[in-house]
Amino acid sequence: MDLINFLVYLAIMMGIYGILSLSLNLQYGFTGLANFGQVGFFCVGAYVSTIIVLVFKMPFILGLIGGMVMAGFYGYVISIPTAKLKEDYWAIVTLAAAEIVRIFFLNEDWVVGGGPYQGGSFGIGGIPQPLRALFSAYTYPLFYLAIVLVCLASTYLIINTLTESPFGKVIKSIREGDNLPQALGKDVKAFRIKVMAIGGCFGGLAGSLWAHYHGFVSPNQFMPLETFIIWAMVIVGGKANNRGAILGAVIVLVFYNSTRFLKDYIPIEEVTLASLRMVVIGILIVVAMLFMKEGLIKEKKTTY
Amino acid sequence: MTFTQVVINSIVRASELTLLSLGLTIVYDILRFANFAHTEFAVVAVYLAFFLNVSLGFPIIPAALIASVITGLFAIFIDRAVFKRLRTSSGIIVMVTSLGMAIALRNTVRAIWGATARNYSVPLQKPFVTEFFRITPLQIWIIVVGVFAMLGFHLLLHHTTLGKAMRASSDNPELAQASGIPTEKIITYVWFVAISFASLGGILIGLETYILPYMGFAIIIPVFCATILGGIGNPYGAMLGALVLGFAENFGLYINFGNILSLGGMLGISKELFIPTGYKPAISFVILILVLLLRPRGILGRKKEG
Repeated sequence: MDLINFLVYLAIMMGIYGILSLSLNLQYGFTGLANFGQVGFFCVGAYVSTIIVLVFKMPFILGLIGGMVMAGFYGYVISIPTAKLKEDYWAIVTLAAAEIVRIFFLNEDWVVGGGPYQGGSFGIGGIPQPLRALFSAYTYPLFYLAIVLVCLASTYLIINTLTESPFGKVIKSIREGDNLPQALGKDVKAFRIKVMAIGGCFGGLAGSLWAHYHGFVSPNQFMPLETFIIWAMVIVGGKANNRGAILGAVIVLVFYNSTRFLKDYIPIEEVTLASLRMVVIGILIVVAMLFMKEGLIKEKKTTY
Repeated sequence: MTFTQVVINSIVRASELTLLSLGLTIVYDILRFANFAHTEFAVVAVYLAFFLNVSLGFPIIPAALIASVITGLFAIFIDRAVFKRLRTSSGIIVMVTSLGMAIALRNTVRAIWGATARNYSVPLQKPFVTEFFRITPLQIWIIVVGVFAMLGFHLLLHHTTLGKAMRASSDNPELAQASGIPTEKIITYVWFVAISFASLGGILIGLETYILPYMGFAIIIPVFCATILGGIGNPYGAMLGALVLGFAENFGLYINFGNILSLGGMLGISKELFIPTGYKPAISFVILILVLLLRPRGILGRKKEG
């Protein structure tokens, strides 16, 4: 039973990170926007959904939608100052914005209006899980997995439809250089903002799913480290390929979670193991950029 | 805290930021990518100095110098092993690679030395205390090193052959190469200078506070902000940006914004309104956003790129 529980947990995480990876892939892979603050969307989605459900006592579905809308709005707002600028600026602004979001929830404990150990650095616990009462402790994770998979499938379908549509052609041409879309009368700035907002929505969706699965959110869960793990997923899986993004999430999570059992066999401290895991993630990104630029599943190139 | 004290703290902070942002800006200038591993190299030097100073018992000054030189050489090695293969790639590819490098470096340090805060072994220093301010000998050192770094950079750029070659490579890499300037050799020097100065900056910050594997990330946003603020790719801009940011970070917490909002008491609302200390990291971000909205090329930025 333990093994099955663990596999279900792993599958849920793959679903949630798959959504994050698809979202980053839309921004970086297809549009060339170096979003180094993907965790910001994740954090906004998780917190907004938590506040809607916990403080305003609304149903889960409204929390989910609220989280998506606010994360999309956050993506819209942070892309305004950089929409006209080069990628270097996107990287630092998104990275900084995600940190500000985290610092905000770390410092402001009134947003949950809770008791002495709620909010701020204590995090928020007791987040209700949707339809929890209908299932037993063993079957509930399976039900939640179903919710996550439905969300992942919808995300995949929506983003895939988008990238195969004329919209997808425009954003790919934006990635390749700014002159062509401008010559065709496309507003590059507006397209970039749209991509950040749409990608942001799905980042928020993942955040909401995460919060209601764990029943607990805290600013420590949304460190910049998470962003870099998602980057590794997109780069290894194959940028500008939606199936690649999901494959990347699966591979990186299998690696990440399988190393957990390593400490049963080798005497190694948890903090050292966590650091070594991240060393591998970093090296994976470098090696993939050097020798495997296209990732495992290559972008579909159509010629006309 | 007195006004003079805040000015001194600002200058100390500006000196630290200068040491780091100068290197970031010249690497950008010559290699055309934003190096997200820049501050992580400094962390490597911080821990090398810790190893020399605490584990091997070197006095702090030789330890700091040796660590900075070794890290500068290490940066050349990383360039040869990784970044050299990407010379013709677009800036975004190299930037993402530097991000991977940053994660690998930071966590290697964390795996070796652990995640707890540590201190260098230096004798306790007696600060100079006056009626208006107090300053430690270390803070004087930081200011002196910062000023020397700025002078050194100026002399390097304008009074040496290397500086001339660097400026030529930055203005027009193809022309520079065609004129017989060995671009690859210059890149090697640039890495060494950039990273060894950043290393000194990191060690000084570590001496003033404490050292942590995470400190490279804690400083990356202010360093990028200072660099962009002055105009990325321009060393004088980096110095100016560091100065502006040093003052902004310290005065941001010192000024009572309630006073300003009520127009110096004219509106009759005498409220106290300070930026909470927890938001100190946000100050550089807000300035960064303002700069990008109003003057994306920075204060001293050149017109030619966008």
